[in-house]
Amino acid sequence: MSQFSFLEATDWQCACCRQPLQPTPVRVSYLNSVFDVELMACSGCGFILVPESLAVGKMLQVEQLLEDK
Amino acid sequence: MDQQQLRALEYRCIQEEPPFCTAACPIHVDARAFMAALAKDDVASARKVLDRTMPFADIVGRLCDAPCQPACKRREVGDPLAIGALEHFCVSHSKTLIKLPKLPAKGGTAAIFGAGLSGMTAALDLARKGRAVTLYTAQPTLGGTLRALVPDTLPADSLAQAQALLTEYGVTIKAATPLDPGTMATLAAACDTVYCDPDEITIHAVAGVSADLDPLTLAAGPEGWFAGSTGGSGASVIQQVADGRRAALSMERFLQKVSLTAQRDKEGAFATRMHTVVTDIAPAAVIGPADPATGYTADEARAEAGRCLQCECLECVKQCVYLQTYKEYPKTLVRKIYNNQAIVQGTRNANKMINACSLCGQCTVICPNDFPVADVCRATRQEMVATGHMPPSPHDFALEEMRFSLSEACRLSRHQPGHATSRYLFYPGCQLSGSAPEAVRRAYALLTGQLEGGVGLMLGCCGIPAHWAGQGALFAATMESLAAEVAALGNPMLIVACSSCLAIFKEFAPALKVRSLWEVLDGLDLPTPPPRPLPGCLSLHDPCTARHQPELRASVRRLCAKLGLPVTEASLGGELADCCGYGGLMQFANQPLGRESAENKARRSEAPAGAGLAYCAMCRDNLAATGRPVAHLLDYLLASPGDPDPLGRSNPGFSWRHEQRARLKRDLLAELWQETAQPRPAHTDIVLRIDQEVRDRLNSRMILEEDLQKVIEFAEASGRYLINPTNNRRLASHRPLRVTYWVEYEPTDQGYRIHNGYSHRMQLPEVRS
Repeated sequence: MSQFSFLEATDWQCACCRQPLQPTPVRVSYLNSVFDVELMACSGCGFILVPESLAVGKMLQVEQLLEDK
Repeated sequence: MDQQQLRALEYRCIQEEPPFCTAACPIHVDARAFMAALAKDDVASARKVLDRTMPFADIVGRLCDAPCQPACKRREVGDPLAIGALEHFCVSHSKTLIKLPKLPAKGGTAAIFGAGLSGMTAALDLARKGRAVTLYTAQPTLGGTLRALVPDTLPADSLAQAQALLTEYGVTIKAATPLDPGTMATLAAACDTVYCDPDEITIHAVAGVSADLDPLTLAAGPEGWFAGSTGGSGASVIQQVADGRRAALSMERFLQKVSLTAQRDKEGAFATRMHTVVTDIAPAAVIGPADPATGYTADEARAEAGRCLQCECLECVKQCVYLQTYKEYPKTLVRKIYNNQAIVQGTRNANKMINACSLCGQCTVICPNDFPVADVCRATRQEMVATGHMPPSPHDFALEEMRFSLSEACRLSRHQPGHATSRYLFYPGCQLSGSAPEAVRRAYALLTGQLEGGVGLMLGCCGIPAHWAGQGALFAATMESLAAEVAALGNPMLIVACSSCLAIFKEFAPALKVRSLWEVLDGLDLPTPPPRPLPGCLSLHDPCTARHQPELRASVRRLCAKLGLPVTEASLGGELADCCGYGGLMQFANQPLGRESAENKARRSEAPAGAGLAYCAMCRDNLAATGRPVAHLLDYLLASPGDPDPLGRSNPGFSWRHEQRARLKRDLLAELWQETAQPRPAHTDIVLRIDQEVRDRLNSRMILEEDLQKVIEFAEASGRYLINPTNNRRLASHRPLRVTYWVEYEPTDQGYRIHNGYSHRMQLPEVRS
């Protein structure tokens, strides 16, 4: 399984843990498909950031691709 | 859809039928393509068109008697194209460019007696099919009566070239052979099949051969004998060619020992089913050559060919932005749908297309064969749902909204206050309740004030989103539950404001007694409108769902007249009205197409600034969203002093319609029945401040304010959110069901200011607690 990285520098910090976000391997899924990706997340609690550009861009494309499978 | 159904559907779309000229041509020359090439000054391509179909184009192109011309559609708007003269021009200015392939030799011998045009054609066609052909003529050279036309009408070398071509294809030419009956009988005995060309042979003089030919096969009596129907000077040139071709096919089939008659109905001239509308085409007279003796110049030929209408149908496509967007006409559309459904593993590329049709049925009304695009798309959606192939995203939002409208938060079913029974039941529908709750309130007051016997009220949703989404079970359950509620109120007559609800009730709940609000209002005393200036001219926009409800449309027009509203018809309306983009859930499956549909409908306005009057709440809102001034008929019918200008009302958007539906129920319960609605969830009390720009973005992303409230409630209660130390904004996400919503916000004194919102369906791992 290939791994895609969607890391981008971000000002967002975890409010709970008061920590900057770190590149983190994450397993995302949709409609019986699973992808290993790298996203910014809190190393304390695991809160994962999906930035807007990813949600309305690549992620949406993949969702629509999977919906037509 | 099985293959048989596909074929039956494809047959109904006549876009691929041959044009009138081609169908009238005994050998089906594609005169439309020929004209298209000539109109572009492309003589070579025009010549290729002739070479593909016409044997000996240098001869036939000069002599053809053009039975296609009287069939030319141009005659209805001017003169028919000068097809014969243009073919003459083409062959005079070009050489043969395509030589059709010759199949490998496959045995079987044919004798052709007589080398007129039909004999030559039969010889050529059979030789191309790989048969050994001997062409006999009593003359010293080929051509029969054509020989007399050299050199005045035909170039000196044209017959010699034809002879060379036949030789090239392997035809053995036996010239100067006496063709008396005895010789022919002897020669015929040495081969398998025979053709007699009446240009040179007197058919009935040959022993046993009948001049009474079978018109389909040109069989002439003895087995394997065939003959032409016409010849001699003055005979139709193209008919001789067609005879030779028809006989060659019969002889080929005879040699193959297969049916001589099967599937030959489209041979020769036939009536095409093509449908070409010429009403908007300017008449144009024939452009003849300035000097008839020398024929067309290149410029004249181009101009004359340019008059060709390039006949096709596409009547539905001309109006439908859906078909235009997907570059399909119904025949190609259903084939794509069929192929999409046949995919077992792989990408179903047509899913979006199937879900983007508005199911409005405009094309079916336009189509001369009532092609049912909407039925096909809707049935396919149902099949996709049943087989688990329906993608979730196109319909999820609309179905959730439907569930919300049917939930306790919005639904209501009551007798009129102070009444134990209902003779009538006002059913405003979910969209009017969301878009213009005040109009619902006033309409109900008017109805209860004037109708005797009790007017109940029912708020909810007819279930049409489920029907459109192919969710048959959900739709059936919705209709069943609605019918049960109506029964519980004593089966009153439903007074229905929404033409979609009405159409659905008439089709799927025929036991319900239903009338449109407009027909009922047309029979009541209308309130006196407040003294205010009438709007300028408004174009009346019929909704697509009133297509088959002429009485409803007539009532609307009578009401407009009673009010003195200066309405004018839209350029396309009535039973041809376009969809605003909501129908069939189009705007959810293909948002840009939904917007374009609204634009397209709005452009039909014949009033200044595109001003319009709608009587469907979704049409009203979607048309207003195009930026044009569009009001709802109830805005004028039930106007009250102090109302803002109805033409200035913007599109409330999904979120506000959602909210207003719930508030309408709560307020009506309190005002009319003195009941308190069940409290709404705590998150709905969260106060949000949202700028218009953000609001528009959220609306286009189909994110409701209630979705934002749920995220904020979750984030603030759990403390799980991100924070941006540079501006103190918060970013949180929450996945109530199948969609993860993200909200960027900041707390304020009175609630939260919303800076952004977005969503995705892909699922993230749970956050560790």
